[in-house]
Amino acid sequence: MTWPPAKDGGRSLPSIGNIFGAPATVLYLLFIGFPVLALLIRAAGQDGFLSSLSSDVALTALKLSLGTSIISMAVVLLIGTPFAYLLAKNTSIFLRALDSLVELPIVLPPVVAGVAMLMAFGRNGLLGPPLAELGVSLPFTSIAVVFAQVFVAAPFYIRSAKVGFQSVATEYEDISQTLGVSPWRTFWQLTVPLASPSILTGFALAWARALSEFGATIMFAGNFMGKTQTMPLAIMTAMETSLDTALALSVLLLCVSIVLLAGVGLLARRHWQERL
Amino acid sequence: MAVSRGWLQSRRAGFSLEVDWQVEQGEVLVLFGPSGAGKTTTLRAIAGLVRPEHGRVEIGGRIVYDSAENVWVPAHRRRVGYLTQRYHLFPHLTVARNIAYGAPKKSAIPRAERVRRLIELFRLDGLEQRRVWQLSGGEQQRVAFARALASEPELLLLDEPFASLDAELRRTLRDELRSMLTASPVPVLLVTHDKEEALALGHSALVFDKGRVVERGEPFQVLGQPGRGQVARMVGVENLFRLEIDSRNPADGTMICVGMGIRLEAPLGDLTSDEGSRPDGKGLVTVGIRSSDIILSKQEPVGISARNRLQGVVTDLQPRPPGFEVTLECGVPLRAQVTGAALSEMGIETGQYLWAVFKASSCFLVQEEAPGGVPGPA
Repeated sequence: MTWPPAKDGGRSLPSIGNIFGAPATVLYLLFIGFPVLALLIRAAGQDGFLSSLSSDVALTALKLSLGTSIISMAVVLLIGTPFAYLLAKNTSIFLRALDSLVELPIVLPPVVAGVAMLMAFGRNGLLGPPLAELGVSLPFTSIAVVFAQVFVAAPFYIRSAKVGFQSVATEYEDISQTLGVSPWRTFWQLTVPLASPSILTGFALAWARALSEFGATIMFAGNFMGKTQTMPLAIMTAMETSLDTALALSVLLLCVSIVLLAGVGLLARRHWQERL
Repeated sequence: MAVSRGWLQSRRAGFSLEVDWQVEQGEVLVLFGPSGAGKTTTLRAIAGLVRPEHGRVEIGGRIVYDSAENVWVPAHRRRVGYLTQRYHLFPHLTVARNIAYGAPKKSAIPRAERVRRLIELFRLDGLEQRRVWQLSGGEQQRVAFARALASEPELLLLDEPFASLDAELRRTLRDELRSMLTASPVPVLLVTHDKEEALALGHSALVFDKGRVVERGEPFQVLGQPGRGQVARMVGVENLFRLEIDSRNPADGTMICVGMGIRLEAPLGDLTSDEGSRPDGKGLVTVGIRSSDIILSKQEPVGISARNRLQGVVTDLQPRPPGFEVTLECGVPLRAQVTGAALSEMGIETGQYLWAVFKASSCFLVQEEAPGGVPGPA
């Protein structure tokens, strides 16, 4: 094995990929890039951009979005990591069936997820009365926001982490154990580092998904400033009264998302990635 | 004193195993057989990576598995070194940190010192900070050995450590391994399906087939003159003849076998099958001769001690490294191995008449489990 891999010296022939791919790529980039650019241009053109950014609504929403999504991601990590590991290493029929169910929340419309959670945890939901007896009411609280985010974001993390764990051949873990390292330490010392690119990528995707959560949140948690009004909800609310505020909030959310993705993307790069 | 011994038995679907072994200090026990015969499973069970239903495993005087006493020591406390075919060096660590990975923190020799010594022993100086994928196949193997030895194992389990190397490198590393094993006398279980490798490295051998040990003994005896048809075909004995016993000469320890137009003098077998030991001393036996034990001559050889002389016509010539295989039709097709130089010097070509010469002791009896498979008497 040599590094870097030898480049093929010959010139590549015009392939079907180039003939159809190039125009499609340009078209797609325009389709995505133009609206983003339009958003930035309009936001830059307005007078009160900075004051809109530092408005009470914006800061409160940003704080709530970051706070809830961080808690959501902690929950996703805590539950998703062992679950993803189990899915990756166990091949029983039961787990394989479960494997396809994991992705259900990805295809489920978030609004439906919100309704479903109301039916489960709402005041008139299945668990509503017993929870009420304990003095707990989940809907329309910040906890409900976290519930909604975990519901929609977790599958992105679990799916990616599972692929990461699968990429670590069992022989690595076997050898680690024969070298006197316990299974628990092997997991942290070997498996997690080797799976880290996929784990981090999944983490970034899930976090971005949690930050952008709208449908399930507004259904299950409502739209109360300071309590359940996250950034996407604040943008939606602002659209009804002031386009400028909505623009400023949108740019802010865009920037947070890009920084997040880029940061994790950099962290996830590994020199040995192709060598497992 | 045995350093590792035990037995394993399992009848679960896909995990059928029936094996027992014993290996001494500084000894290499070869597990030989076709792929899927249970060799790797045996290693993994001894390492504690899979658990067979029944068994008892002793490593360095400690019982690490005893199904009767319900003893099960997990893999990380068994003190075995396990090498896989593809080495599985940890790609996120440097060479030095790969070796240090399993080095115990508490040991007579400090960890750093131990790693340094291993780097020196395996001539890895200067490569400490290298990434493992930047290494050649041979260097990777040395790192894998160093990593395994750093954890101070009491038993080495090698699963076809040369399989992913080309033939020339394989030979070099085999010699290296042999000298390394003499330097650090850890008992070794070596899995291979390469006969040459088994003969070069093994002190004793177990031959596997379908999860069971079908033959055991010294590698040369078991693989060079295999006593069973099953094993003979596995290692590829070139000449197998089904012959009738004509007369026995117990005083000499030999017997004369005839059939298929030939007459051979072979050692008197101690076969217990009723075929070879009928009261009248007659019966059918299968005689094996390695192609490399046969000498070819242009003239009828006279005045030599070799007891078996057959004349035949050359019907086929095939390259078979390291040389050529000549097929001589002497009533039965007899295959002989010659070097390229001998071939050109003698000017051997098809249609030529040659004499084949081999000693009685080059013939060995092969016990047939199921008749058929080799040609019957004419």
